Amino acid sequence: MENGRKIAVLLIVTAAVFAVSCGGEKAPDVKAPEQGKITFALQSEPDGYDPGITNNSFASPFMNQLFEGLVTYDANGEIVPGNAESWTISPDGKVYTFKLRAGLKWSNGKTLNAHDYVYSMFRVLTPATGARYADMLTVYIVGADDYYNGKAGKEKVGIKAINDNTLEITLIEPTPYYLGILGMWVYAPVNKEAVEASPERWTMDPASFVSNGPFKVASIKLGEGVVLQKNDNYWNAGAVRLAEINFRFILEPATALSAFEKGEIDGFREVPASDIPRLRAGSNALHILPSFGTTFYDVNNTKKPYDNPKVRRALAIALDREEIIDNVLQAPGDPTMALVAPGYVYGGQDFTTVHKNYGFKPKADVEEARKLLAEAGYPDGKGFPVLELSYYTNATVKKVVEAMQQMWEKNLGIKVKIKVQDWAIYYSDIQNLNYEIGAMGWGGDYLHPMTFLELFTSNSSNNNTGYKNAEYDALVAKAVVETDPAKAVEIMHKAEDIFARDLPVITLYSRSNTIMVAPYIKGWVLTALSNLYFKDAYIEK
Amino acid sequence: MLEYVLKRVATMFVTLFAVVLLTFILMHSVPGGPFTAERKLPEQVERALIQKYKLDDPLYKQFFDYLKGLARLDLGPSFKYEGRTVNEFIREGFPLSARLGLLSVGFTLLTALPLGILSAVKNGKWQDILVMFIATLGITIPSFVIATALMYVFSFRLGWFPVFGVKKLNGYVLPVIALSGYSLSFVARLMRSSLLEVMGQDYIRTARSKGLSESAVIIKHALRNALIPVVTILGPTIAGLITGSFVIEKIFALPGMGVHFVTSIANRDYTAIMGITIFYATILVAMVFLVDIFYVMIDPRIKLGRES
Repeated sequence: MENGRKIAVLLIVTAAVFAVSCGGEKAPDVKAPEQGKITFALQSEPDGYDPGITNNSFASPFMNQLFEGLVTYDANGEIVPGNAESWTISPDGKVYTFKLRAGLKWSNGKTLNAHDYVYSMFRVLTPATGARYADMLTVYIVGADDYYNGKAGKEKVGIKAINDNTLEITLIEPTPYYLGILGMWVYAPVNKEAVEASPERWTMDPASFVSNGPFKVASIKLGEGVVLQKNDNYWNAGAVRLAEINFRFILEPATALSAFEKGEIDGFREVPASDIPRLRAGSNALHILPSFGTTFYDVNNTKKPYDNPKVRRALAIALDREEIIDNVLQAPGDPTMALVAPGYVYGGQDFTTVHKNYGFKPKADVEEARKLLAEAGYPDGKGFPVLELSYYTNATVKKVVEAMQQMWEKNLGIKVKIKVQDWAIYYSDIQNLNYEIGAMGWGGDYLHPMTFLELFTSNSSNNNTGYKNAEYDALVAKAVVETDPAKAVEIMHKAEDIFARDLPVITLYSRSNTIMVAPYIKGWVLTALSNLYFKDAYIEK
Repeated sequence: MLEYVLKRVATMFVTLFAVVLLTFILMHSVPGGPFTAERKLPEQVERALIQKYKLDDPLYKQFFDYLKGLARLDLGPSFKYEGRTVNEFIREGFPLSARLGLLSVGFTLLTALPLGILSAVKNGKWQDILVMFIATLGITIPSFVIATALMYVFSFRLGWFPVFGVKKLNGYVLPVIALSGYSLSFVARLMRSSLLEVMGQDYIRTARSKGLSESAVIIKHALRNALIPVVTILGPTIAGLITGSFVIEKIFALPGMGVHFVTSIANRDYTAIMGITIFYATILVAMVFLVDIFYVMIDPRIKLGRES
């Protein structure tokens, strides 16, 4: 073969490959809201779709549409009956008896009853299942921890089906906020037949994916998305008005925003922070809603000079939170130095109303901060070691950390060094107290201050500060068992008073949820626990 | 020739084994594990997971178990995505990445070769300067900038293409251009410099003095030799393009396998890191091998056998 011809062949082959590879998916992106179909973008693929196993926050949109437990949330974020029609709580606050709705069915049409709930809970309590939220059962239910660790049989566990539609759960302590915990998806029922036919992969195929919520799985594509369809066997299917939800994974928020503005999708979560000021001014699709979450910076309370509460307070009040929220984050948030986020209301008053008594200022209090630092032995920051401020790879956190560095250096006269690591390395350093100050935060699991207050007890697995206070521990332990909500609130306030005095961490702000939803979609709900519900959603052009 | 091929195949396996071993060691020496998630798992739960995925076995045993699976082409279950297998990551993601990659390879060759040749032939003239200016831009501007700019102008402003996805065929256009940017510029520059070098050689002068037309000199004599360096880098370039790009797939929301390269490492998804690295290494080694075979066809100076 001559060279010229070889090259020609090469080019022809290339052209052929080019032409062949042009074939592919043919169906265009059909968007027809008038048919009750919507496309909603999610920023990340969840690590799984099995409610008994995952604790991944990205799974939440799927869990909320596909499954329903004994209780669920209404549009105001209040707990309302779900699969359970009603329930009673024993006078000692420990025995919960649930009456299931009549005629409950799985998405495949088979009957769902109390035994399915028992099966699902014991499945979570079987270590081989790998349930990430197993502690949401073991901590509260009688005998559950022993069963999980192989020390007790099923009969010792406080989970019983009295009959086909009565379920009884017995708690170790009268936990007044237990209904909130019961609302977590780890308590959702899974179908025994489906699970046992394919324990690892039943959620990977629409044919084997059995659920019990307002929607069921129609298609599931790795890396691309999941399409849900209305579940006609849902007990309240008559109220479900959307026919189809196409959850599409779009990892890049800027792409999701462009796609939304071009009408290719109908909504998405996690609006890019830099676009929020513009969208706030001119978009009727942007919604900024309260979130039951707090952003704080862990402080290593075991390391000098951060073991000194005066130093921690000086650092905390030397920050201009308003500046951080308005100009750095450019996203809404409420400046605070306390722990509990707003959202829990008792007696008509939000739990956080008392935060004003703590005397925190949204702007930096430089004078007071310098005074405290001097009292701690570092006048004008002299002699203060270089502070190491750590964070994990994240563009938004980076901006905040840089602002904090600047504020501390300017306001306190100390040197601040920034350190960044990828999450896995960062988090193991934090857990091993191998840090000084590091970015952290908490999103509540259930709508009760305890989801925050429990974080900083001495033996909490999420207390990565080394902070130990016996008085605080005792108050939190007391709040767990206090059945009178008014008294519980009082006790919890006392616990938070200690937090606000000691400041084991440096809180910046309580968070908000951002979401964009096309104005023609009504009736959707995003709760403060970041649960998104489409069961009552509908389209109105 | 057969002996050469067999030898090369044997070397390929040694290379791949080295890749497997090194990746395994590096991966296990990085702090954090597959169960480091958004929050700390209760200890008993973590213990249960470690048992479930046999991470409590000694490392050498884990390694040999992995090799056993590998021999059956079973890359194991993902540690991060419940119920997913690593084979599935590749099976679901590779076709799209490969499609985009092959389109990019085609686009690169169809544009870079003529541009490089034009640039060399018009050495120093405005055509040359223009092509090299564009090629320099293509190499220096990162692909995410090119991708974002293309999306903004052609999808967002002009509305010619969808913002994301390849459900519509025209969805391929922008990702392919963005993906090709670097290799296109690189190949054009290489083609130009290689052709210029060849054009200065004695045998070209001889060809010219024989009275051949300039185009005959270039096509019949110069191009064949000038293509050799281009063919050399084509192997790794194709391997890189068809296995997907994290940046391009992320920006255009394409469910390819490029995304897994980065996320599997961030997730410490051990089996996924191994599987995807091995897959990439295999394609790379195979491409380099093919290129070597192609040399023999194209370069008269390379002769195999025991003639000497």
